[in-house]
Amino acid sequence: MKMKYILKLTFCLFAALNITSCSDFLDVNNNPNAPVSENLSLGAKLSAALVSSVVQETGQLNQIGAFWGGYWGTTSEGINNFIDLKTYNGPAIRHQRDGIPVWETGYANLLYYQLIREEATAEGALFYSGVAKIMQGWHFMHLVDVYNNLPFDDALQGTVHPTPRYEEGRVVYEKSINLITEGIEDIKNAPAGTEAGADDVMFTGNKTRWVKFGNTVKLRALLRQSEVGDQGYITAEIGKIQAEGSGYLGAGASALVQPGYLTTAGKLNPFWENYYRTVQNVSTANHQDIRPTAFLINTYKQRNDPRLATLYVAVGTDYKGVLFGNPNAEPEYERANTSAFKGPNENGNAPAGLFKSATQASVLMGSFESLFLQAEAAQRGWITGSAKSLYESAIQESFKYLEVNTGAFAAYNAQPLVNFDNATNKIERIIEQKWLALNSISSLEAWSDYRRLGIPALPNSLDAPSPASFPLRFMYPESERQTNNEEASRHGSDDVTQAKVWWDK
Amino acid sequence: MIFYKKCFFLLLLWLPGLVAFAQKSEIAGRVIEQTTGDPLPGANIILKGSSDATIANEKGEFRMQTEAGDILVVSFIGFETREIIVDRNASALTIAMKEDVNQLSEIMVTGALGIKRAARELGGGSQVVGSENLNQAKTINPLNGLTSKVAGLRINMYDSKVDPQIQITMRGTRSLNRSKNAPIYVVDGVPVPDISRINPNDIESVTVLKGANAAALYGSEGVNGALMVTTKTGNRDKGRVTFGHTTTFSNVYMLPPAQTQYGQGVNGVYNATQAESWGPAFDGSMKDFGPKLPDGTQPQALYAAPGSDNRLDLFQTGVNMQNDISFSGGDEKTTYFFSVQDAAIKGIIPEDKSRRTGARFNGSRNFGKLKTAYNINYVYFTKNTTPDGPWITAYSLPANFDFNSMKDWQNPLAIGNPNNFFTDLQKNPYHQIDNIRDESEQQNLNGKIELDYEVTPWFNAMYRLGLYNNNVQTRSTTGKFEAAGRRNVNGSVNDGTNNFRRLNGDLILNFHKDFGKFTTRLLLGQNFRADNTKASSISTSNLLLPDVFNPGTRIGELTGSSSITEYRSLAGYGEFTAGYNNYLFLTFTGRNEWVSVLSQENRSYFYPGVSASFVFNEAIPAFKDNNFLSFGKLFGSWNKTGNVTLDPYSLNNPYTQSNGFPFGNLVGFTPGLRYPNPNIQPEFVTSFEVGTQLSFFNNRLHFEGSYVFSDSKGQIFNATTSRATGYSSAVVNAGRLTNSIVELSVSGDVVRTNDLKWNVGFNFTHINNQVKELYEGLRSFNIFRQSYANIGQAYPSLQVSDYQRDPQGRVVVDAATGDPLVAADPRHLGTMVPPYQMGLNTNVNYKGFNLGAQFDWRMGGWLYSEIVPRMYTAGTEPRTAEFGREAFVYPNSVIETSPGVFTENTELKTSGGGKAFWTKQGEVQINTAAKSDFFKLRELNVSYSLPTALLAKQRFVRDATIGFVATNLFIIRHKDNKYGDPEYLYNSTDGYLSFRQVPPYRTYGFNVNVTF
Repeated sequence: MKMKYILKLTFCLFAALNITSCSDFLDVNNNPNAPVSENLSLGAKLSAALVSSVVQETGQLNQIGAFWGGYWGTTSEGINNFIDLKTYNGPAIRHQRDGIPVWETGYANLLYYQLIREEATAEGALFYSGVAKIMQGWHFMHLVDVYNNLPFDDALQGTVHPTPRYEEGRVVYEKSINLITEGIEDIKNAPAGTEAGADDVMFTGNKTRWVKFGNTVKLRALLRQSEVGDQGYITAEIGKIQAEGSGYLGAGASALVQPGYLTTAGKLNPFWENYYRTVQNVSTANHQDIRPTAFLINTYKQRNDPRLATLYVAVGTDYKGVLFGNPNAEPEYERANTSAFKGPNENGNAPAGLFKSATQASVLMGSFESLFLQAEAAQRGWITGSAKSLYESAIQESFKYLEVNTGAFAAYNAQPLVNFDNATNKIERIIEQKWLALNSISSLEAWSDYRRLGIPALPNSLDAPSPASFPLRFMYPESERQTNNEEASRHGSDDVTQAKVWWDK
Repeated sequence: MIFYKKCFFLLLLWLPGLVAFAQKSEIAGRVIEQTTGDPLPGANIILKGSSDATIANEKGEFRMQTEAGDILVVSFIGFETREIIVDRNASALTIAMKEDVNQLSEIMVTGALGIKRAARELGGGSQVVGSENLNQAKTINPLNGLTSKVAGLRINMYDSKVDPQIQITMRGTRSLNRSKNAPIYVVDGVPVPDISRINPNDIESVTVLKGANAAALYGSEGVNGALMVTTKTGNRDKGRVTFGHTTTFSNVYMLPPAQTQYGQGVNGVYNATQAESWGPAFDGSMKDFGPKLPDGTQPQALYAAPGSDNRLDLFQTGVNMQNDISFSGGDEKTTYFFSVQDAAIKGIIPEDKSRRTGARFNGSRNFGKLKTAYNINYVYFTKNTTPDGPWITAYSLPANFDFNSMKDWQNPLAIGNPNNFFTDLQKNPYHQIDNIRDESEQQNLNGKIELDYEVTPWFNAMYRLGLYNNNVQTRSTTGKFEAAGRRNVNGSVNDGTNNFRRLNGDLILNFHKDFGKFTTRLLLGQNFRADNTKASSISTSNLLLPDVFNPGTRIGELTGSSSITEYRSLAGYGEFTAGYNNYLFLTFTGRNEWVSVLSQENRSYFYPGVSASFVFNEAIPAFKDNNFLSFGKLFGSWNKTGNVTLDPYSLNNPYTQSNGFPFGNLVGFTPGLRYPNPNIQPEFVTSFEVGTQLSFFNNRLHFEGSYVFSDSKGQIFNATTSRATGYSSAVVNAGRLTNSIVELSVSGDVVRTNDLKWNVGFNFTHINNQVKELYEGLRSFNIFRQSYANIGQAYPSLQVSDYQRDPQGRVVVDAATGDPLVAADPRHLGTMVPPYQMGLNTNVNYKGFNLGAQFDWRMGGWLYSEIVPRMYTAGTEPRTAEFGREAFVYPNSVIETSPGVFTENTELKTSGGGKAFWTKQGEVQINTAAKSDFFKLRELNVSYSLPTALLAKQRFVRDATIGFVATNLFIIRHKDNKYGDPEYLYNSTDGYLSFRQVPPYRTYGFNVNVTF
């Protein structure tokens, strides 16, 4: 190492001639282009995480659910669009580039909350750690609904677990529910004045709302396992929610995300910008070619549903749907002959059902969904309260959200196909109306309810591999096959039309 | 162009008028060495065609009786023989001699830091490519001119835009970090990031230093070897002017084939507004085509298979035109070289064009003990292209689509108008070409100053400062076209600038002293480097007007970004060489480097090297003065080289705003998904090399062979991780790759007479690359899409999805549906980099006629096409038409009747033969993979030089050559590869064909060179 010594000596001699200090010369590695975690407040991270969650919810997940939950099909012109969803083409859906990256987006969102949670826990910022835990529970369970078994304990730790171990979907559900319970505790323990403000783009720091939201998500998770047959667990968990005491999201208390959308490129409500109009007020490709299914239109029609008129544009005097997965480009299903989504442009500039304005809030979970969940739980005898009044209140909340005059409710509710008392199968009635209310808003729930209960009796895609094969899950993504194949392949078949999610019995 | 041609012919006409009257007189001459200006005592001067001869004295001077038009033949051992025409007015001649690169015993190479040294001293592999060989095909990018000419050096050209992309790798893949395998470029002693803008005609030679030895003197980037570019200097004799012109034409070839049986439609039914080819068979009828025009007429099209490939109509014949002029000259104290070049390319995609105009001034002057040299090179490059839309569209349009009828899109009644285009699911390619443009304007200023002072006869000190400045201005525009729904096109503009500046300074102390038979040299150096980049852009995606492209004229908010990146390094280095009796040499090198991109604890690292060479034919009496062996050398080296491939600011995770943030005053930041590692260490590559250089039969046959082994450990790379880790990748020190390489080259003069010279050369490289370790105990690791690093296999490996197969390899079909079953696990096919690389060149020279050819032959690799799966979906891939679009018995298939028992399937048909079936087959990646073997005639040059005797009658034109040049005249591919050019790559991944790239072309044309 004598050589090294000589070199160093020589170097420093020259260095002295050239520059004042080696160290100063080399200290240029602080990123001048972007902040790092230490530069930013928890609030600046929470706002972005919540918006990112709702972008996935109202975009990617809602779209999958809308096709597989019976709401959407395409025009004859758009026959080749969404072909992978129409044909249940699992390998294409999991494709790294052209597929639907639910897994990737889901875990990215989970990471955002993980970093907030870690930082908030270290700083004792309980409100933030509580929100992060609730939202992590939300995302983990959504991922299970799509992929079944997946990493929970090993997840989100960077290089600590480079090939995270998968856990059973049931276990992930259980752990997620516990995580939400913890989150609720944190929020309740957060001292007054430490809540988020405008950064909390969902509830502006309203602790009670967050706790109610957490309880509602847990209720949704418990109802999801209604067919599994572990009633003891469900009862115990319901007991915890009741002991907590804050209850669920009720009328007028939707979980809406409103960061302050603007009528300018890239800052519009993303659902509007994807499925209705661009910033230049041009009808988008999705608006051109996505249409309600004939089955959906008929279900509304059979009930003389006033929501039909606020949701869709009439063709002549009638509403026309399409056949999901129709392999033939028939003229009767062309754009001009079928009902497109209605928006202010087709509604005398007044807000329409789904499309009210370019800056409308995004729906993470509607009050109507919460009320339908409560109605089902009440009907099952899990919670106290009248299933009927919860059911009616849910429909009214749906009317309100979809810009239907609440005065129309009484006549609507009087119809035999709607009235709760007339129903022989109350659960079926609740789920039917829930399906009509969640249309294009929280469509993933429709697909999950169909898998859980088979309600309503959806017609299969005409392009399905066989008439009896319905989509049951996503295959593990190619990215996971490439990086964590041992774990991914340990969990048996992940075939789209054969392998079931754990709660699907 | 026409102007230049005229000039040339005028000159030829003038020649007879310049013939001079003969008259004997004595002339004085001086023979000097070209590079240094030192005299060459003992040089031989012969008057051609007579017995008159003389020898230069100790000052290099001679005198001789001549008359104008006589030819002097000047020769000196180790130098190229020159023929000089005696000028009528000349009384004193200065004749500068160049080293003969064909004599291994005497060859000088541009070694460390641009210091010339005898090749015999070098302990690592090296090869010199001279100007003539480099410019054989008159390529515009000098890197293209090196392709397949150097053993161990792999150069791939891909994406035939007007500025084709190049990937260059020396001696195999050393880093899992795909973009960090290129050698360092050193121009006249200064490391620069890019040499593709250098005028190849300015290059005197490229010395390829293959080993990692270069790293000790140029820094870590030299771990992959070095391309040492020496630009031309003026001749120390008579001033000269050269003029060159080249025009070549380019034609597209090797498009992936398309079926011509079925046209547009759905499920076998014709549809006037659907673009995919799932309609009925062509029947020769006229059919409605697209929607009605605004005037109510219904356009129609002939529904028949075309006679030729309609897609070729989208491409045009490209034209490349180069004009060069250079002036050079000098005397004993001064040299100068000045050149100007203009190279314009018209692309094979309509409206694509580029133009490079550059000037270089190289000069030197000696002031007693101080030698000074300065170079300056300025290049102005403009480019105007359309992005990837048009040809991607062409791959999925029906076979009968008439491209030529679509050129008029402005006319509201034309079928090419975006409002009337037959479908709204694809765009009119000509509208894409006209409407979506990427323009860029690059200014590159590159120069150096060098001061070399001889302090004592055994010690000189040199300072060399290099500046490399690159400024790029870009503008991307999309013209607004207002229409309903999918036909609408938003106007957008993006203005960007990117400024890069590198300052590089070296202080070098050079000591050399001889002790009897021992020679010693010590070199101590210090280097600093500072790279500074500033990039910014402003844009809008919502322009107000169709023809005002300014972000100011917009709807909504302005978007933009700006980034500043700084990289700095310092180094101290040394090299000590000891020689014995000019046949045994031992060299030690060492360098300590400090880099800004690592943490303070990790940023200093040291790396050593040692090499030896032994010229045994001079040391061992038995070989001395041997007619068979003219030169024989054994050499070997060992290096352990540190390297840091990390980009600045990679130790922390930056947060950015997305999803529309900021909304007014509300900010929202999300972290990046690359897991940062603040403790990244330098990576180390250990390599050794042994080899031999031999010359036989009086330097008529040369052989060089070497074996190289390199072992790269603890590599810094961005490891793709399971997304469940929260991150898409992590920066790690992990992975180990080894390369065992055999390089052989042979070249020889098959015929060497006065009139006929025929030289043949062959080089062979075999690279055995192996992945030894990966990250965190993983055995397989995804790199990019279908490319993997798998332990025990070569990197990168092609791994694709495949069908389930029985032990005989037959496809297993579902016993119920008859559809082929897809296997759960991917199938490993093989390396994506051809392990066997060969170059073959030949040169025949007969009385002024010259034929040069360069063949490129690569074997053993695999490729994957991402173009073809989309053609399956669109119904344009020929296989989708093979079974009449009906259900069929899958060829060579079996049914698994019970576990492990397979019976041949002769009856069970597939579930269908339409879009749903074939789209799924397109997803099975083995259907679009093939072997990438090829044999190419890469370069061909046929030229004729006017004979010296003819030119001797005048004094104006010294040399005149006219020639035919061509590239890629033919290629033989593996029979399974119908997809494209096996040389193509994508995103630094070999063997990956992407639809984003312009398909390959071949070029041919002519060339004229005149020296005055």
